[in-house]
Amino acid sequence: HAHLMWVFSRFRGEGFQEGFERGTRRGLQDGRRHGASHGAKLSSEISFYYGFAITWKCLLQHNTDLKSRKRVKALETLLGLIQNCPLDDPQSVNLQESTEKLRAKFRQVCSMLSVPTDFKDYIKTAEGTSF
Amino acid sequence: YFMITLLSGVSYVAKTPDSLLRSRVYCKLTMSWFKSVSVSGEDVFDENGDELNLQSKEWTSNMKKRIKDGYVEGVDAGEEASLQAGFNQGFREGVAQTAAVGRLKGIVSAISCWCQIERPENPVPASVTDLLQLVTQHEDRVVDSIKRALENPPPSVSDVSESMEDLEVEAGPGCGGEECKETDCCQRAESMDWDTRQKPQKLRSRSADCSSGSGLSLLLQRCVDVATELRLPQELIAHMQELKSFQ
Repeated sequence: HAHLMWVFSRFRGEGFQEGFERGTRRGLQDGRRHGASHGAKLSSEISFYYGFAITWKCLLQHNTDLKSRKRVKALETLLGLIQNCPLDDPQSVNLQESTEKLRAKFRQVCSMLSVPTDFKDYIKTAEGTSF
Repeated sequence: YFMITLLSGVSYVAKTPDSLLRSRVYCKLTMSWFKSVSVSGEDVFDENGDELNLQSKEWTSNMKKRIKDGYVEGVDAGEEASLQAGFNQGFREGVAQTAAVGRLKGIVSAISCWCQIERPENPVPASVTDLLQLVTQHEDRVVDSIKRALENPPPSVSDVSESMEDLEVEAGPGCGGEECKETDCCQRAESMDWDTRQKPQKLRSRSADCSSGSGLSLLLQRCVDVATELRLPQELIAHMQELKSFQ
Protein backbone atom coordinates (compact mmCIF):
# COMPACT_ATOMS: atom_id res chain seq x y z
CA HIS A 1 0.00 0.00 0.00
CA ALA A 2 2.89 2.35 0.67
CA HIS A 3 3.57 2.96 -3.02
CA LEU A 4 -0.09 3.60 -3.77
CA MET A 5 -0.33 6.05 -0.93
CA TRP A 6 2.72 7.96 -2.13
CA VAL A 7 1.24 8.29 -5.59
CA PHE A 8 -2.10 9.43 -4.27
CA SER A 9 -0.83 11.80 -1.63
CA ARG A 10 1.27 13.71 -4.10
CA PHE A 11 -1.83 14.83 -5.90
CA ARG A 12 -4.32 14.92 -3.08
CA GLY A 13 -4.59 16.39 0.36
CA GLU A 14 -3.40 14.89 3.63
CA GLY A 15 -6.91 13.74 4.27
CA PHE A 16 -6.51 11.07 1.64
CA GLN A 17 -3.94 9.10 3.57
CA GLU A 18 -5.96 9.25 6.76
CA GLY A 19 -9.06 8.23 4.90
CA PHE A 20 -7.20 5.44 3.16
CA GLU A 21 -6.10 3.95 6.46
CA ARG A 22 -9.61 4.18 7.80
CA GLY A 23 -11.09 2.63 4.69
CA THR A 24 -8.54 -0.14 4.71
CA ARG A 25 -9.50 -1.17 8.24
CA ARG A 26 -13.16 -1.10 7.38
CA GLY A 27 -12.67 -3.05 4.16
CA LEU A 28 -10.71 -5.74 5.97
CA GLN A 29 -13.40 -6.03 8.63
CA ASP A 30 -16.31 -6.18 6.22
CA GLY A 31 -14.52 -8.52 3.85
CA ARG A 32 -13.54 -10.81 6.65
CA ARG A 33 -17.11 -11.12 7.89
CA HIS A 34 -18.47 -11.93 4.44
CA GLY A 35 -15.65 -14.35 3.72
CA ALA A 36 -16.18 -16.21 6.98
CA SER A 37 -19.83 -16.78 6.27
CA HIS A 38 -19.20 -18.08 2.77
CA GLY A 39 -16.28 -20.25 3.79
CA ALA A 40 -18.15 -21.78 6.69
CA LYS A 41 -21.15 -22.75 4.59
CA LEU A 42 -19.15 -24.23 1.75
CA SER A 43 -16.84 -26.12 4.06
CA SER A 44 -19.82 -27.48 5.99
CA GLU A 45 -21.32 -28.87 2.80
CA ILE A 46 -18.15 -30.34 1.31
CA SER A 47 -16.95 -31.78 4.60
CA PHE A 48 -20.34 -33.44 4.95
CA TYR A 49 -19.90 -35.14 1.59
CA TYR A 50 -16.46 -36.30 2.65
CA GLY A 51 -17.61 -37.80 5.94
CA PHE A 52 -20.52 -39.45 4.21
CA ALA A 53 -18.39 -40.95 1.46
CA ILE A 54 -15.56 -42.17 3.65
CA THR A 55 -18.06 -43.93 5.92
CA TRP A 56 -19.76 -45.74 3.08
CA LYS A 57 -16.43 -46.70 1.61
CA CYS A 58 -15.39 -48.28 4.90
CA LEU A 59 -18.70 -50.10 5.11
CA LEU A 60 -18.62 -51.50 1.56
CA GLN A 61 -14.98 -52.00 0.63
CA HIS A 62 -14.69 -55.55 1.92
CA ASN A 63 -17.73 -56.74 0.00
CA THR A 64 -16.91 -58.71 -3.10
CA ASP A 65 -20.18 -58.43 -5.04
CA LEU A 66 -20.31 -56.39 -8.21
CA LYS A 67 -22.84 -53.86 -6.90
CA SER A 68 -20.63 -53.04 -3.92
CA ARG A 69 -17.55 -52.73 -6.08
CA LYS A 70 -19.29 -50.27 -8.40
CA ARG A 71 -20.44 -48.25 -5.44
CA VAL A 72 -16.97 -48.18 -3.92
CA LYS A 73 -15.55 -46.97 -7.20
CA ALA A 74 -18.05 -44.12 -7.34
CA LEU A 75 -17.27 -43.24 -3.73
CA GLU A 76 -13.56 -43.12 -4.49
CA THR A 77 -14.20 -40.80 -7.41
CA LEU A 78 -16.22 -38.53 -5.15
CA LEU A 79 -13.49 -38.54 -2.52
CA GLY A 80 -10.96 -37.64 -5.20
CA LEU A 81 -13.05 -34.73 -6.39
CA ILE A 82 -13.35 -33.46 -2.83
CA GLN A 83 -9.63 -33.68 -2.22
CA ASN A 84 -8.93 -31.68 -5.39
CA CYS A 85 -11.43 -28.98 -4.55
CA PRO A 86 -9.49 -25.73 -3.97
CA LEU A 87 -11.18 -24.74 -0.71
CA ASP A 88 -8.04 -23.02 0.49
CA ASP A 89 -8.14 -20.59 -2.41
CA PRO A 90 -11.34 -18.53 -2.44
CA GLN A 91 -10.27 -16.72 -5.59
CA SER A 92 -9.56 -19.88 -7.55
CA VAL A 93 -11.26 -19.93 -10.92
CA ASN A 94 -11.85 -23.65 -10.43
CA LEU A 95 -13.70 -23.44 -7.15
CA GLN A 96 -17.16 -22.91 -8.63
CA GLU A 97 -16.82 -25.61 -11.25
CA SER A 98 -15.22 -28.04 -8.85
CA THR A 99 -18.01 -27.56 -6.33
CA GLU A 100 -20.74 -28.14 -8.90
CA LYS A 101 -19.02 -31.27 -10.15
CA LEU A 102 -18.78 -32.78 -6.73
CA ARG A 103 -22.38 -31.94 -5.89
CA ALA A 104 -23.49 -33.79 -8.99
CA LYS A 105 -21.30 -36.73 -8.07
CA PHE A 106 -22.72 -36.80 -4.57
CA ARG A 107 -26.27 -36.95 -5.90
CA GLN A 108 -25.28 -39.82 -8.17
CA VAL A 109 -23.69 -41.69 -5.29
CA CYS A 110 -26.81 -41.23 -3.17
CA SER A 111 -29.04 -42.70 -5.81
CA MET A 112 -26.61 -45.61 -6.29
CA LEU A 113 -26.77 -46.25 -2.56
CA SER A 114 -30.56 -45.91 -2.59
CA VAL A 115 -30.40 -43.36 0.17
CA PRO A 116 -33.85 -43.15 1.74
CA THR A 117 -35.75 -39.98 0.96
CA ASP A 118 -36.44 -38.79 4.48
CA PHE A 119 -32.74 -38.57 5.11
CA LYS A 120 -32.41 -35.89 2.49
CA ASP A 121 -33.74 -33.29 4.90
CA TYR A 122 -30.29 -33.31 6.42
CA ILE A 123 -28.57 -32.42 3.22
CA LYS A 124 -28.60 -28.77 2.40
CA THR A 125 -26.55 -27.36 -0.38
CA ALA A 126 -24.79 -24.07 0.04
CA GLU A 127 -27.67 -22.46 -1.84
CA GLY A 128 -29.86 -23.36 1.06
CA THR A 129 -32.17 -25.65 -0.85
CA SER A 130 -32.79 -29.13 0.46
CA PHE A 131 -31.36 -31.85 -1.69
CA TYR B 1 -23.82 11.34 -4.52
CA PHE B 2 -24.14 14.73 -2.99
CA MET B 3 -23.22 18.12 -4.23
CA ILE B 4 -21.46 20.82 -2.33
CA THR B 5 -21.33 24.33 -3.62
CA LEU B 6 -18.24 26.14 -2.45
CA LEU B 7 -18.45 29.73 -1.37
CA SER B 8 -16.80 30.67 -4.61
CA GLY B 9 -19.72 29.15 -6.45
CA VAL B 10 -17.83 26.14 -7.79
CA SER B 11 -19.75 22.92 -7.41
CA TYR B 12 -18.18 19.69 -6.40
CA VAL B 13 -19.81 16.32 -6.63
CA ALA B 14 -18.69 13.74 -4.21
CA LYS B 15 -19.67 10.18 -3.77
CA THR B 16 -20.92 9.48 -0.33
CA PRO B 17 -19.45 6.16 0.72
CA ASP B 18 -22.13 3.67 1.67
CA SER B 19 -20.55 3.28 5.04
CA LEU B 20 -20.94 6.97 5.72
CA LEU B 21 -24.52 7.00 4.53
CA ARG B 22 -25.30 4.07 6.76
CA SER B 23 -23.66 5.66 9.73
CA ARG B 24 -25.92 6.84 12.42
CA VAL B 25 -23.59 9.70 13.00
CA TYR B 26 -24.27 11.07 9.55
CA CYS B 27 -28.00 10.92 10.20
CA LYS B 28 -27.64 12.46 13.62
CA LEU B 29 -25.67 15.34 12.19
CA THR B 30 -28.24 16.02 9.54
CA MET B 31 -31.01 15.87 12.11
CA SER B 32 -29.24 18.13 14.56
CA TRP B 33 -28.65 20.64 11.81
CA PHE B 34 -32.35 20.71 11.06
CA LYS B 35 -33.17 21.02 14.74
CA SER B 36 -30.78 23.86 15.37
CA VAL B 37 -31.95 25.95 12.47
CA SER B 38 -35.60 25.56 13.29
CA VAL B 39 -35.06 26.53 16.94
CA SER B 40 -33.12 29.62 16.02
CA GLY B 41 -36.27 31.09 14.61
CA GLU B 42 -34.44 32.52 11.66
CA ASP B 43 -35.74 32.13 8.25
CA VAL B 44 -33.42 29.46 7.02
CA PHE B 45 -34.27 29.69 3.43
CA ASP B 46 -34.46 32.92 1.56
CA GLU B 47 -37.13 33.52 -0.99
CA ASN B 48 -35.20 31.61 -3.58
CA GLY B 49 -34.70 28.72 -1.19
CA ASP B 50 -31.05 28.05 -1.86
CA GLU B 51 -29.14 30.08 0.73
CA LEU B 52 -27.84 28.32 3.81
CA ASN B 53 -27.56 30.02 7.15
CA LEU B 54 -24.39 30.40 9.18
CA GLN B 55 -24.63 27.25 11.32
CA SER B 56 -25.21 25.04 8.37
CA LYS B 57 -22.44 26.78 6.48
CA GLU B 58 -20.04 25.76 9.24
CA TRP B 59 -21.12 22.17 8.93
CA THR B 60 -20.86 22.32 5.21
CA SER B 61 -17.43 23.86 5.39
CA ASN B 62 -16.21 20.98 7.56
CA MET B 63 -17.52 18.53 5.01
CA LYS B 64 -15.99 20.48 2.14
CA LYS B 65 -12.66 20.49 3.90
CA ARG B 66 -12.80 16.75 4.22
CA ILE B 67 -13.67 16.28 0.61
CA LYS B 68 -10.98 18.71 -0.57
CA ASP B 69 -8.43 16.95 1.55
CA GLY B 70 -9.38 13.74 -0.16
CA TYR B 71 -10.50 12.02 3.00
CA VAL B 72 -13.69 10.59 1.59
CA GLU B 73 -11.91 9.46 -1.53
CA GLY B 74 -9.27 7.92 0.65
CA VAL B 75 -11.82 5.90 2.57
CA ASP B 76 -13.31 4.59 -0.67
CA ALA B 77 -9.94 3.69 -2.10
CA GLY B 78 -8.86 1.99 1.10
CA GLU B 79 -12.01 -0.08 1.27
CA GLU B 80 -11.75 -1.15 -2.32
CA ALA B 81 -8.13 -2.11 -1.93
CA SER B 82 -8.64 -4.25 1.16
CA LEU B 83 -12.06 -5.86 0.71
CA GLN B 84 -10.80 -8.86 -1.25
CA ALA B 85 -7.91 -9.46 1.12
CA GLY B 86 -10.32 -9.36 4.04
CA PHE B 87 -12.67 -11.74 2.27
CA ASN B 88 -9.90 -14.22 1.56
CA GLN B 89 -8.74 -14.20 5.14
CA GLY B 90 -12.26 -14.60 6.50
CA PHE B 91 -13.04 -17.35 4.01
CA ARG B 92 -10.16 -19.50 5.20
CA GLU B 93 -11.14 -18.91 8.80
CA GLY B 94 -14.75 -19.86 8.09
CA VAL B 95 -13.68 -23.01 6.26
CA ALA B 96 -11.71 -24.10 9.30
CA GLN B 97 -14.62 -23.47 11.63
CA THR B 98 -16.97 -26.01 10.09
CA ALA B 99 -14.62 -28.61 8.62
CA ALA B 100 -14.65 -31.03 11.56
CA VAL B 101 -18.30 -30.75 12.50
CA GLY B 102 -19.37 -30.96 8.84
CA ARG B 103 -17.40 -34.13 8.37
CA LEU B 104 -18.80 -35.62 11.57
CA LYS B 105 -22.31 -34.87 10.39
CA GLY B 106 -21.58 -36.70 7.16
CA ILE B 107 -20.28 -39.71 9.06
CA VAL B 108 -23.27 -39.93 11.38
CA SER B 109 -25.72 -39.41 8.53
CA ALA B 110 -24.11 -42.23 6.60
CA ILE B 111 -24.34 -44.51 9.61
CA SER B 112 -28.02 -43.63 9.94
CA CYS B 113 -28.61 -44.44 6.26
CA TRP B 114 -26.72 -47.68 6.58
CA CYS B 115 -28.91 -48.71 9.53
CA GLN B 116 -32.05 -48.02 7.52
CA ILE B 117 -30.83 -49.99 4.53
CA GLU B 118 -29.22 -52.92 6.34
CA ARG B 119 -32.00 -53.40 8.87
CA PRO B 120 -35.10 -51.98 7.28
CA GLU B 121 -37.35 -53.85 9.72
CA ASN B 122 -35.81 -52.08 12.71
CA PRO B 123 -35.98 -48.39 13.47
CA VAL B 124 -32.67 -46.53 13.40
CA PRO B 125 -31.15 -46.75 16.90
CA ALA B 126 -31.93 -43.78 19.11
CA SER B 127 -28.24 -43.35 19.84
CA VAL B 128 -27.71 -42.59 16.17
CA THR B 129 -30.65 -40.24 15.62
CA ASP B 130 -29.94 -38.39 18.86
CA LEU B 131 -26.31 -37.96 17.93
CA LEU B 132 -27.21 -36.70 14.48
CA GLN B 133 -29.51 -34.11 15.99
CA LEU B 134 -26.82 -32.93 18.42
CA VAL B 135 -24.21 -32.66 15.72
CA THR B 136 -26.61 -30.71 13.50
CA GLN B 137 -27.40 -28.33 16.33
CA HIS B 138 -23.71 -27.79 17.08
CA GLU B 139 -23.03 -26.95 13.47
CA ASP B 140 -26.01 -24.62 13.24
CA ARG B 141 -24.74 -22.72 16.26
CA VAL B 142 -21.35 -22.25 14.67
CA VAL B 143 -22.79 -21.05 11.35
CA ASP B 144 -25.37 -18.81 13.04
CA SER B 145 -22.84 -17.02 15.16
CA ILE B 146 -20.76 -16.23 12.10
CA LYS B 147 -23.85 -14.97 10.27
CA ARG B 148 -24.98 -12.88 13.21
CA ALA B 149 -21.70 -11.06 13.30
CA LEU B 150 -22.21 -10.42 9.60
CA GLU B 151 -25.74 -9.05 9.70
CA ASN B 152 -25.49 -6.79 12.69
CA PRO B 153 -21.97 -5.65 13.07
CA PRO B 154 -22.23 -3.51 16.15
CA PRO B 155 -20.49 -0.16 15.88
CA SER B 156 -17.67 -0.31 18.34
CA VAL B 157 -17.35 2.61 20.70
CA SER B 158 -14.15 3.69 19.02
CA ASP B 159 -15.86 3.52 15.65
CA VAL B 160 -18.56 5.98 16.63
CA SER B 161 -16.29 8.47 18.32
CA GLU B 162 -13.89 8.29 15.41
CA SER B 163 -16.67 9.16 12.98
CA MET B 164 -17.52 12.16 15.10
CA GLU B 165 -13.93 13.31 15.20
CA ASP B 166 -13.62 12.96 11.46
CA LEU B 167 -16.51 15.30 10.96
CA GLU B 168 -15.19 17.70 13.58
CA VAL B 169 -18.37 17.73 15.53
CA GLU B 170 -18.56 18.12 19.27
CA ALA B 171 -19.12 14.69 20.71
CA GLY B 172 -22.71 14.37 21.73
CA PRO B 173 -23.94 11.59 23.99
CA GLY B 174 -21.90 8.58 23.05
CA CYS B 175 -22.81 4.93 23.02
CA GLY B 176 -24.66 3.93 26.11
CA GLY B 177 -25.96 7.45 26.57
CA GLU B 178 -29.60 8.33 26.50
CA GLU B 179 -29.67 8.61 22.75
CA CYS B 180 -28.16 5.22 22.18
CA LYS B 181 -31.07 2.98 21.33
CA GLU B 182 -29.04 -0.19 21.06
CA THR B 183 -28.71 -0.80 24.73
CA ASP B 184 -26.26 -3.62 24.42
CA CYS B 185 -24.30 -2.28 21.47
CA CYS B 186 -21.20 -1.56 23.51
CA GLN B 187 -21.34 -4.92 25.19
CA ARG B 188 -21.72 -6.70 21.90
CA ALA B 189 -18.88 -4.77 20.40
CA GLU B 190 -16.61 -5.91 23.17
CA SER B 191 -17.67 -9.50 23.22
CA MET B 192 -17.22 -9.97 19.48
CA ASP B 193 -14.38 -7.77 18.44
CA TRP B 194 -14.00 -7.59 14.70
CA ASP B 195 -11.88 -4.48 14.81
CA THR B 196 -8.64 -5.29 13.10
CA ARG B 197 -6.87 -2.35 14.67
CA GLN B 198 -6.60 -4.39 17.79
CA LYS B 199 -4.62 -7.56 17.80
CA PRO B 200 -6.11 -9.67 15.03
CA GLN B 201 -8.00 -12.32 16.92
CA LYS B 202 -8.44 -15.86 15.90
CA LEU B 203 -11.98 -16.18 14.64
CA ARG B 204 -14.14 -17.61 17.38
CA SER B 205 -17.83 -18.17 17.43
CA ARG B 206 -19.77 -17.45 20.60
CA SER B 207 -21.05 -20.97 20.87
CA ALA B 208 -17.52 -22.18 20.42
CA ASP B 209 -16.60 -20.21 23.53
CA CYS B 210 -19.14 -22.05 25.65
CA SER B 211 -18.78 -25.53 24.26
CA SER B 212 -15.65 -24.99 22.18
CA GLY B 213 -13.45 -27.93 21.33
CA SER B 214 -14.84 -29.80 24.31
CA GLY B 215 -18.33 -29.82 22.78
CA LEU B 216 -17.08 -31.34 19.58
CA SER B 217 -14.83 -33.80 21.42
CA LEU B 218 -17.83 -35.08 23.35
CA LEU B 219 -19.75 -35.57 20.12
CA LEU B 220 -16.78 -37.34 18.58
CA GLN B 221 -16.56 -39.68 21.55
CA ARG B 222 -20.24 -40.48 21.29
CA CYS B 223 -19.76 -41.22 17.63
CA VAL B 224 -16.96 -43.66 18.40
CA ASP B 225 -19.18 -45.30 21.02
CA VAL B 226 -22.00 -45.68 18.51
CA ALA B 227 -19.69 -47.20 15.91
CA THR B 228 -18.34 -49.62 18.49
CA GLU B 229 -21.84 -50.56 19.63
CA LEU B 230 -22.86 -51.23 16.01
CA ARG B 231 -19.60 -53.12 15.34
CA LEU B 232 -18.63 -50.94 12.45
CA PRO B 233 -15.22 -51.39 10.78
CA GLN B 234 -12.17 -50.32 12.78
CA GLU B 235 -10.98 -48.27 9.84
CA LEU B 236 -14.07 -46.09 10.16
CA ILE B 237 -13.41 -45.55 13.84
CA ALA B 238 -9.88 -44.49 12.93
CA HIS B 239 -11.33 -41.83 10.60
CA MET B 240 -13.43 -40.51 13.47
CA GLN B 241 -10.40 -40.32 15.75
CA GLU B 242 -8.63 -38.33 13.05
CA LEU B 243 -11.13 -35.51 13.58
CA LYS B 244 -9.76 -34.83 17.03
CA SER B 245 -6.67 -33.29 15.53
CA PHE B 246 -8.62 -30.86 13.32
CA GLN B 247 -8.04 -27.13 13.83
